[in-house]
Amino acid sequence: MSKEIVEYLARRLVDEPDEVSVEEIEREGAIVLQLHVAKDDVGKVIGRQGRIARALRTIVRASAARREQRVMLEILE
Amino acid sequence: MTDALQVETSGETVGEAKWAALRELEKLQPGIDKAAVRFQVLSEGERGLLGVGYAPARVIASVDLSAVVEQEAPQEDSELGGEVRGVLERILEGIGVRAQISLREDDESLVASVVGRELGLVIGKHGQTIDAIQYLVNAIVWRGQVDGRKQVVVDAAGYRARREATLEALALRSAERAVSSERPVELEPMTAVERKVVHLRLKEFPGVGTRSEGTEPNRFVVIEPE
Repeated sequence: MSKEIVEYLARRLVDEPDEVSVEEIEREGAIVLQLHVAKDDVGKVIGRQGRIARALRTIVRASAARREQRVMLEILE
Repeated sequence: MTDALQVETSGETVGEAKWAALRELEKLQPGIDKAAVRFQVLSEGERGLLGVGYAPARVIASVDLSAVVEQEAPQEDSELGGEVRGVLERILEGIGVRAQISLREDDESLVASVVGRELGLVIGKHGQTIDAIQYLVNAIVWRGQVDGRKQVVVDAAGYRARREATLEALALRSAERAVSSERPVELEPMTAVERKVVHLRLKEFPGVGTRSEGTEPNRFVVIEPE
């Protein structure tokens, strides 16, 4: 569910929603969500002083809380 | 967390205690249906004689929040309201919370209140989840728009009202400290909405002035003795 919500929110924030994809990988027992957006949209999902990225991470944490699993979010071009 | 809201109040008589409870519930969840409120009398109270043996009447009042939602007349959302509702529903689904959303809108702001069970997950520690939700909802519905932005407030289980009461109490305590110590008092970093609560509360407070310092997201209020 974390993956879906990140994908949805990112699509709503960027100029090129078709370029948004989220890959789910496992690393050292944690789930890592790799959010890919178009180069010019990176700033849109990070936000001023990283506020959007921080808010996205908070939502990811809340969405993973019930499963007690560590989920991390990485933002990539 | 259950979806019932409960308060305990006291008063000189049972009637006064009930009245205080209704006001308290109304503050936590505006628009509650008073007929749906259930009272439990803990103590009838003692009037006492010449101040001896006086004991206040105490009651517990609770209201089932799922009943509140059903009793609200279904209203057509505004364009903004519909968008906010749509984004909010997706976020709640992502967090895995089933809840209702009720909207209140005026010229300056739109308040979207989440009503349901397990809202602790939606609010988060120190309200950080609900603040993140509010920030993202605003970013999405006002994307690329500079003018005509209306503040969208996201609330859950009366959290904002409770937080406002906490901030006001903090503001008063800190102002008294600034006056007695004759030194400025710096508060913790707060959001713009929260800083405004502090500024407004201390506007009429004698002997102090307030201003904000620092840059977002670490902007904070300074209370200065005058």
